[in-house]
Formats: sequence, C-alpha cells, structure tokens
Amino acid sequence: MANGNAQQKLSGTDVVKARKGLMITPDLCIACRGCQTACKQWNKLPGDATTNSGTYENPPALTAHLYNQIHFIEKPKDVGIDWLFVRRACMHCGEAGCMDICPAPGALFRTDEGAVAFNKEKCIGCKLCVAACPFDVPRYDSDNKISKCTLCSDRISNGLSTACAKGCPTGAIRFGSRDPLISAASAAGYTVYGEKDLEGLGVMFALKGDYKEYNLPQPTYHAGIALWNSVIRPLSVIGLGAVAAGALIHYLTIGPKDVEPDETAKKGGE
Amino acid sequence: MVKMIQKTTAFERIVHLLLALSCLALLLTGLGFLYQQELGWLNTIFGGVHIARGIHNWGGIVFIVSLIFSLGTWVPECLKWTSDDSKWLGMLGGYLSREKDKEIPPQGKINAGQKLLGIVVFISGVIISISGLILWLSVPSALWVLIHNVCALLFAVFVPVHIYLATAANPGTFRIMTRGDVPLYWAKKKHPKWVKEIGAG
Repeated sequence: MANGNAQQKLSGTDVVKARKGLMITPDLCIACRGCQTACKQWNKLPGDATTNSGTYENPPALTAHLYNQIHFIEKPKDVGIDWLFVRRACMHCGEAGCMDICPAPGALFRTDEGAVAFNKEKCIGCKLCVAACPFDVPRYDSDNKISKCTLCSDRISNGLSTACAKGCPTGAIRFGSRDPLISAASAAGYTVYGEKDLEGLGVMFALKGDYKEYNLPQPTYHAGIALWNSVIRPLSVIGLGAVAAGALIHYLTIGPKDVEPDETAKKGGE
Repeated sequence: MVKMIQKTTAFERIVHLLLALSCLALLLTGLGFLYQQELGWLNTIFGGVHIARGIHNWGGIVFIVSLIFSLGTWVPECLKWTSDDSKWLGMLGGYLSREKDKEIPPQGKINAGQKLLGIVVFISGVIISISGLILWLSVPSALWVLIHNVCALLFAVFVPVHIYLATAANPGTFRIMTRGDVPLYWAKKKHPKWVKEIGAG
C-alpha cells in the first residue's frame, strides 16, 4: 500500500524519488489557525481585510495572500453542533491539471520534493490553471500572477518542515516523506484521502468518516484535458506532420499546376 | 501584353491580408503556448511569452474584425455549391495527377476546395473567436480551452494546405492576394464559369 508512490511519473517532471507531503488529520485540529499565521509569516504575505460573516472562519476562502486556510464546517446534531476543521491549500497533485494546461514554460514547475511550485516572472496571467484545478486553489495577485502554496519549497529543500506543520501545535498537519505518512495514518486506523488519486496527492487527509462530510471533492482530472492529452494531441501531431509531408511530396512528385497561355490568348494579347 | 482581368477588389485584398497575417501570428503563438515543451521557442521569437500573449490576444481582435468583413465578402460565394463542386472535390481538384486536367469540372469564381476552406474558416473562426474572448475575459472552464484548441487545429491543418495551393502548387496565383488581377487565359482555364458569368470571355 505504502510503497507505490516512490517512483511515479508526475506532471511536469522526471521521476521524483523522495516525494514529500503533508498528512492532515482534521480530528486533531483545534482551529487555532497557527498554520495560517506561520504560513503568512514565512511567505511574507500581507493580511487581508475581511468582514464578519457570523462564523469564526476567517478569511472565508483562500486569497492571493492566504495560501493555507482552515475551513469551518458546522454539522448540527441533537444538542449543539459538530465542528469540523479542514485545511484548504494546494494539494500538490501528482497528475496536476494546472501544470498540464499551463501555456507558459516554467511558470509552474515540479520541485525535487514533488511539490508544485510557481515562478511569478514566467506567469502570463491566463488563469487556465484555475480552470484545471479540481480543488479551487490557484489565486491571482494584483499583478495578475499566480499565487498559491508551494509546500514551502524553499524550506523543505533545505531539510526543514513546512511552516504550517512547524506552527501546528497538535500534529494535525504532519510533514514528511509521503510513504511513511501514509503508513502511520493507516496504522492509526484512518482512511487516507489522496493516497492514489491523481497519481497521489502531495497533501493527504487522514479521515475517520466519509470525505464528503469534510467538504472535500472527489479528486478528478478534468475530462477535457485528459481527452486532449490522450487522443487529440497525438492526432494533431500526425495531422500536422501529414500536411507538411504531403505538400512537400506533392510538389516533388506530381508538381505544380502551370497554366500555359493558349494560342488564342497569345493572339488576343498582341 | 497578356490580357488581365480583376479577380479581387482592393477591399478584399486588405481584408484577406489582415485575416492572413493575424491568423499566422495567432497560429504560431498559439502553437507555442499549446505545445510549450516542444514549440515554446516559437514564442521566444515573438519576444517571450508575455509579448506573445499580447500578440495572441490583440491579434485575435484583428482576426475577429477581419473575419467579420470576410464573412460578408466570401460566405455567399462559398455557399453556391453545385454538382460541379462535388465532382471537383471528389477528384480533389485533379491535384493528384497531371493527366486528368481536361476532366476537371468547370469552376466558378472560387473553386470547390476554396469554398470548403472558406466554410471551415468561417465556422471554426466564429467558434474560436467566441471561445477566445471567453478565455481572455473570464476565468474559463477547461472545456472552452478544448473547444478553442480543436478549432485551432482545424486552422493548423487547413491554412498550410491553402497557403501551399495558393503559392508553390499554382504558380502565379499569389498575385490574386497581392495585386488582384489574373491573366484571362488563366481564368478561362481555372474559373471558366466565372469568366462566362462576368462576360469577359
């Protein structure tokens, strides 16, 4: 179970050998939002002005300056409510639709640890990554450049854990190599969300109940992008090659159609 | 002097040139975006992805404007489909052989292949314009990307064929696009029905 992800072909890269990830355990989360603060601090992200919407959830969604947000779910029960806290951020999909659809080389790239990181200077602001993301993650800043969690690439490439995991006081966010994280969560009796979906998510959830209760989506690769990759793209290469080769061969074998002036034309012109 | 007759008006030549130049710029930058790993260097030629994006977006506006004028100019001609056109298309205009030139069915002002190209350009042109505006001006669904790309591929296949047939494959044809006149003897052979229609014979 836990060994299948070591040598996979991920979007936008050669094989990542030491894939790192996060295991999120909502049951352990106390909604202190230390992760939100630690993330903002490390990534030097300014605060956002928000409004009171009658819940402690704040801000209500990811923004260009909020890579990591704790989503509050209130489930009514006989007396009071059940409170579920779910971390929202980039899931660092193995098969990443955003990377596959991005038209700007190098704007989104895979790090050695398997994270999906970005380079704002190369982003052209087309927002196709937003269309491709199954988790509604990418945001655009005021310069119209992509903005999202990078799995703290600059920290983890230097042997540190992500800022959110470092700031988490309860172990609800655990950072580490992907496979041991999965083994540990399975051994503790959790169902792992994202172990195999989309060639394995970099950010997984250890759940006791159904993922739908946590407002998590079914991780799906966009069918339109899949159709393009598997059928239309190969066909297009054949089609374009056939046109170029066909024209060249036609010219060299059958040749152009010259129209010679006939006798009457010559006479008429004189 | 060989007797010449006018096949295109100055207005038609300007519209066609705008459509052609914008279409080429859009195709090249678009291919650079679509096949960024293999053809990303195309956009380096255009000055990098940021400038290429500007060329693709604003070139799209030029394309849409010239397409609208082209619709009025060429659609009525393209829709005049006769049995001669079907026969012409059936033998691919005689382009696959040098022997059958005498059997090529007589053609009107534009031949069946050009009519087919026109119909493809207009239908996919309208769809690619609408989807392109959606991709540019909204946060789009990936479905629009697919629609936009499939239409682009139709252009990528039909346009090079059109360019080849209008240049190397038919010497002397290119001037219809640049100067607009053709020799009468050429028109009689290639577009006899049109010559008869305008009474230039």
